[in-house]
Formats: sequence, C-alpha cells, structure tokens
Amino acid sequence: MTIFITLVDVTLRGLVGRRRTVLLVLLAMLPIGLALLARLGGEAPDAAAALDALVVRIVLPLIALVFGTAALGAEIEDGTAVYLLTKPIARLHIVVAKVVVAALLTAALVAPSALATGLLMGGGDEGLAATLAVTPAVIIGSLLYAAAFVAVSVVTTRALVIGLVYVVIWEGILAGILVGTRIFSIREAVLGFAGVLAPDAWEGGLEAAQAVGLALVVVIGGVALGARRLAVHEIRGGD
Amino acid sequence: MTADATPRPGGDPPIPSGSIYDLGYRGYDGPRLGRRHAVGALFTHTLLSCYGIGRGGRAKIIPFVLAGIAVLPAVIAVGLVALARQAGQAGEFITDASPIRYETYFEIVGQIVALFCAAQAPELLGRDQRYSVLSLYFSRALERTDYAIAKLGGFVVALLALVLAPQIILVLGLTLSSPDLAEGLGENLPKVPPILAQAVTLSAVFGSLSLAIAAFTPRRAYATAGIIASFIIPPVVAEIAREVTSRDISRWFVLASPPDVIGATNAFFFDIRPDSSVIAAARHPGELYLAVAAIAVAACTGILIRRYQRITA
Amino acid sequence: MTPDRRTTVATSSSTPTPSRAPGQAPAIELDHVSRWYGNVVAVNDISFSLGPGVTGLLGPNGAGKSTLLHMLAGLLRPSAGRLTVAGEPAWRNPSLYRRIGLVPEREAVHAFLTGFEFARMNARLQRLPDPDAAAAQAIRTVDLESAAHRQIGTYSKGMRQRAKIAGALVHEPTILLLDEPFNGMDPRQRLHMIALLRAMAAEGRTILFSSHILEEVERLADEVLVIHAGRLAASGDFRQIRRLMTDRPHTFRIRSSDDRALAAALVAQSAVFGVELSDGRLIARIGDYGAFTAALAGTAKRAAVSLYEVAPTDDSLESVFAYLVRR
Repeated sequence: MTIFITLVDVTLRGLVGRRRTVLLVLLAMLPIGLALLARLGGEAPDAAAALDALVVRIVLPLIALVFGTAALGAEIEDGTAVYLLTKPIARLHIVVAKVVVAALLTAALVAPSALATGLLMGGGDEGLAATLAVTPAVIIGSLLYAAAFVAVSVVTTRALVIGLVYVVIWEGILAGILVGTRIFSIREAVLGFAGVLAPDAWEGGLEAAQAVGLALVVVIGGVALGARRLAVHEIRGGD
Repeated sequence: MTADATPRPGGDPPIPSGSIYDLGYRGYDGPRLGRRHAVGALFTHTLLSCYGIGRGGRAKIIPFVLAGIAVLPAVIAVGLVALARQAGQAGEFITDASPIRYETYFEIVGQIVALFCAAQAPELLGRDQRYSVLSLYFSRALERTDYAIAKLGGFVVALLALVLAPQIILVLGLTLSSPDLAEGLGENLPKVPPILAQAVTLSAVFGSLSLAIAAFTPRRAYATAGIIASFIIPPVVAEIAREVTSRDISRWFVLASPPDVIGATNAFFFDIRPDSSVIAAARHPGELYLAVAAIAVAACTGILIRRYQRITA
Repeated sequence: MTPDRRTTVATSSSTPTPSRAPGQAPAIELDHVSRWYGNVVAVNDISFSLGPGVTGLLGPNGAGKSTLLHMLAGLLRPSAGRLTVAGEPAWRNPSLYRRIGLVPEREAVHAFLTGFEFARMNARLQRLPDPDAAAAQAIRTVDLESAAHRQIGTYSKGMRQRAKIAGALVHEPTILLLDEPFNGMDPRQRLHMIALLRAMAAEGRTILFSSHILEEVERLADEVLVIHAGRLAASGDFRQIRRLMTDRPHTFRIRSSDDRALAAALVAQSAVFGVELSDGRLIARIGDYGAFTAALAGTAKRAAVSLYEVAPTDDSLESVFAYLVRR
C-alpha cells in the first residue's frame, strides 16, 4: 500500500503546482463565469444544453487530456520515469496510480465546475436534475478519459495531439455523422450516464448497458494496455 | 601524454615538439550566399517540416492524416457529382444540394486546420527553443526578425496548401465533370478569387495566432493546449454571450473569436449570408471582420517578432 | 568474438581474472550480446563476465557504454545474445531491482523533491522496512546532509549527481551500475565518491561504472573494459593489457650515471629496438618487456653504470586507450 501512496504522492506533486494547473483552474472556472454572466443578465438558459456544450464537450476532455497525458508522459519525456521503472514493483501498479491521480485531479476541477455552473444556471427542478445527474457522470468521465490518455501516453510521446484529434474529430465530428461510432465515444458514454440519472434532461447519450460496457472496456483495457506497454518500454542511454 | 623532447641528430639542443594531426579540416573562403538565401532556406525548411518532409517517417503521420481528412470531403463530393452526372438529370440536383461546396468548405475544414496548427506550430518553434539551437541560427547571416518572419511565412504557406488542396480538387473536379467544359469553367472559375482570398485570410490569421502562442514555451504540450483552447473556447463564449447578454455587449464577443471572424470573412468574400447565428446576430459589416483579421495578423506577427528579438538564445 | 586483427590483445574475457573468487557465479555475464537500432549497431557481439570489485567501462562518446549499462539495468532488450545479472535475465524482471542499483547519466531528477525525499521515495519503492532510516543513511553516505532538505531543483550539478547516487544506494544493492557518475563533480567530491565506491567494492559488491575520463578509471577501477564502436576492444588490468601489446614498443625513461655507456650496452640486446639520448635522460624503446626488465640490472652492472631512475613512460591508461581506439 505504501508503494501506491508513494506513487500517487510523487505523481500528484509533479502535476500540481505548476503554471499549467493555474491555467486549467481558469479553464474550469470559465463555465462558472459564463453562468454568472447569464444570471446577471437575467436570462434563464437551458442548463443542460449549456452544461453539455461547455463542460462535457470542452472543459472535461481538455483538462483530462492535459492531466492524463502528463501523469506518466511528462516523466517519460523528461527522463525521470527511470526511477520508477527500476524498482521491484509491477508495472500495473505504476499505471493504476497514474490513472487514479489523473482522474482525481480532473474530477476535482470538472465536478465542481459542472455543479456550480448548473446551480447558477438554475432552471428550476429540471435544471437541478440535469445538474445533479451530470456531476457524477463527469466524474466517471474523468476516469475514462484518464485511463485512455495514460495508456496512449505510454505508447507515444505525441499523446496530447493524438488525444486532441480523438476528441475533436472522433467524438466531435464523426460521432455526429457516423452514428455507429457513438458506441466508441467516451463523451457519449458520459451523456449516457447522465441520462441514467435524469432521462428527461439528458437524452441522446448511450444506453445504460452500452455506457457501462464502454466504461469497463476503456478502464480495464486502458490500464492493461498501459501496463503491458510499460513493461516493454525501453529507455535508451545518452551514449 | 607527456611530450618528450626529441633530440635532433648531431647533438643540437632539443626542441620541444608536438604533433598536430591534419584531420582534413579546411576553412572556406569561397563566396557565401547572403541573408536572403538564409531566409529563403529557413522558409523552405519550415514549409517542408510542417508536413514532416525531411524528418523521417513518424513525423509525417499526423500532418498527412490531418491533410487526408481535410481533403476527404472534397474527394467524396467530386465523386458523388461525377456519379450523379452519369445518372443524368439527378446530377444538377446533387451539385446544388450538396453541403460540400466552396462556400461551406472552409467551415468544414476549419477544425482540421485548428488541429493542424495545434500539432505543428509547437513543433516548429518549440524544438528550436528546447534544444537551444537558437544561438546557432542567430550567429549566421540570419537576423532574429528574419527567423520569425521565415517561420511565419513557411507555416502560413503550409496552411495555405492544406486549405487550398481540397478547394483545388473541388474546382477541377466540378469543372471537369460538367457536361460542357466552357459552362463548367464559367460556373466554377468565378469562385476562384473568393477562394483564394478566404484561404489567405484563414491561413494568415490561424497561422500567426498559433505561432504567437507557440513562441512562448518550449514545451510542446503547453503550446498545443493553448492553441487549441484559443480556437475552441472563444466561439463557445461568444455563443453563450449571445444567449445570455444583451445584443450590444454580445456582438463584440464575436470579434474575439477567430473561427467566427474567419466565418464572417468567408461570408463576405463569397457574398452569402453567414451560416452561424452568432455572426448574423452581431450584425457587423463584412469589412469590419476583414479589418479585425488584418489587425489580428499584424498584432500576432508583432508579438512573434518581439518575442524573438527578446528571447535569450 | 575476439577482434581478429591484433591477436596480441587478450580478450578471452570469459575467464575470470585472479582477483575474483573462483567458482563463484559471476554477478554479471554477457554472452555474445548485441543491440542494434535499425541499421545502427550500438553494441556489437560483446561477451564478458564480472564479479565483485570495481570495473571501469571505458570508451569514447558513442561507443555504446550507456546502451550496455541500460541493457544490464533491464531498460533495453538485447537484440541478440544472452545477458544475465545475478544469474537472471535483466529484461522484464522487476524483482531483480532489489539487487541492482542504477545511476543513469541523464541529469533529470524530480526537481520538486528534496534530496531526502527523493532518497526516501526510492527507499519506499524498494519496499524497504524502514525507508526513512535508509534514506538518511544514504544521504549521509554521499555527504549531502547539509542540502538534504532543499529541493533538488536548487542543487548544483555535482549535488544532483550525489542525490542520484543516494537514490541508487538506499537498498544496498549488490550490483551497482553507474553511467558517467563523476559528471559535474569537483575534485573533492570525486575523491570522496571514489573512496566510497572502493569501500563498497571491498564489501563484496560488483560495481560497474562508465567513463570517458581516463584519470578516473585509472584511479578507481581494478579492471577495465575498453569498448569502442560497440565492440569490446580489451578487458582486464590495464597494465596487463599494455604488456600484452607486444607489437608496440614500450618506452622506458632511464636516468643513470653514464647514459651513453648504458645506451651502447642496451643497443646490443635484441629486446631493445632503439635508444635515444636527450637532456640527461635515456629513452629506451623495447619489444620484450619481460626480457628487458629481467636483464636491465645485469646489463647496467656489467657496464659499470648506476641506475638512478627507471620509469615506463607510456604505461598509462591513456596511452593504452589511445592505442586501442586508434585501431
């Protein structure tokens, strides 16, 4: 257990407390700011639509992308991963710890953002239901994205760009055009989970069974893939 | 290694000796191409390396995949039209109703261009900063400003290629597949000036903005995230501002959103009504967007140049 | 595979040298190990075995030292051959890390950790029962106590090196691999580290360190492995290696009571290739080291010359290395 805590501790300290965290906090506060603007303007927008457009489509994937690719990727890139790899611990432990930290940090920023934005937007009972449904959904989404992006960051150093292409093109464009690909979209799964809790507010996501299925595949598959690739990860010397 | 004294024959006093091995190093006294050539070389190198050319296999994957996706709708559209014309009358209907047209193409491809910028701009500027080779560049005939301009020029031209390729395919495809070539030319050629104008505007704005962001950090990840944020977030902000605040305030948010500005110039050049409700609601004259685009390009270029004038190499 | 051109250099490196305990399984064993990246061969068919003591891995930049060390540390897979550390293959064998410590060449360490925290992190990840004590001990050993509670980001290069070494020592490994460990250290720190490594080797540990700085290797290593362009050029005690290079004349500097007379006497011997007289000294170039040294005293006596100083002038590791590398 100490191993796990040690890994979490060092990853956490490596990710937090940098310029990047400040920027991500600002990003997470953006929807709150806009919601505030809305309230002051006296309008009562559709809470679910706003949450979807802002939090689920932008804030969640972007923050997850930065934390997910940096949790292990930054150490691999700057050469400090060697101190974790030359230890008698299973590669699986390392990957799990990284995923957990990335997911926790993402959720720590996105969940309050979703909650505060939704509450500010108001919208009566329906709005409240939508908000309370989407908050746990984005927490699950944080875990899914984290698992996926950590796995990709073991495979390639360009994980951030590839993750971006996935979010913008696969989730953004393709899932709209080719309906069949929705079942492979984490965003659709998040909407599906929200839909389980508040079906009226959140239509259009995956069915509950599909969402759970995708979640299991992504988490288990991502962690397993990451662990396997880390086990054969090679570190060249400088010479 | 001790340099032993070598005695000379005849018993003369020994002279300390050493050896220098001629490794074949030669100085160069010939003519040197000057500053213009240096700038040209850096421009060409930048342009090629945007597509990974000259850098090995793996660097080509992302740019070529994105370019392929950008070109794909054009290829599909031309294919469909060609097939439709073979079917006869239905052909006219399809070309008119197709969502893939010159006017709409820039919007279709806009997100791809944003991704391309986010992926490649950090590569162009970040690697030189990270590996401290700027001092090597600046000790040549190349001035600091030249470096910035050459990089900007190369990147903008690379974006032009990305944006024009599908349009060229569309123009050629639609012209060649029309039953009467003269008629086809007559229909499609007049579209070329607006296409070029919009392509230049889009490339200049997106290119200069991306480079201005990428110039400030050697870490690829920060730059990528910053660039993509600058493309994705302002439109959403503008959209929401339109919904929640009064018209007089919200119409100015549009001007701070690069994709919307480009969408508006698109409408201006092609002389159509803008698709986006945000732009329509803002009710600015098209020339204003063009002016904003020009100012943005100038400002970003200025930021880029200033950054490289001040950067410690 | 021994280099075939100059067979005078003994590279039958699978025979342990006398300083190792005979009959003990070697701590490190390589059997025709190669590693290539596409067309580039970084390590080319290398075989050797090591036991307790300090061995220096010597070679110019790009020779393959880091590649070799990383393969031994289980961070690279050998493209061919068999590589065992403490009897087990190193690749994909995390449990082996209880017994191995690696000090990599790259400077990067977690800059936000203090020296002590870094050592403790290593101790915890090594599953030690008392990580704090082990970390403190390691910090003490590398003489980093005064700065132990500052962030590594504030350290000088030499301090960072010592922090890395502390991290590799926490679990008291039996096999220690160091890649250019003296980079950035000032002479005092270097001497301290040399003393430390010698002490550890005396305890029975196997220490393999790489360097391209000859003085360090000369001072620290019992044995050397000379590696050049991926191939093993020589192994063993470097003085012994020198002696084996019989096709290259040894040079001796001799001061005596009558150089000229001695010179005349020496030239008569077949072991002597040439003599030079210069500046109060006699330089003798000889072929057969053993024969010459055995006969020198007698020759001098017969010529009624007193010997004041007899010193080999090119018996340094530098000259050996230069010779090997130039091939």
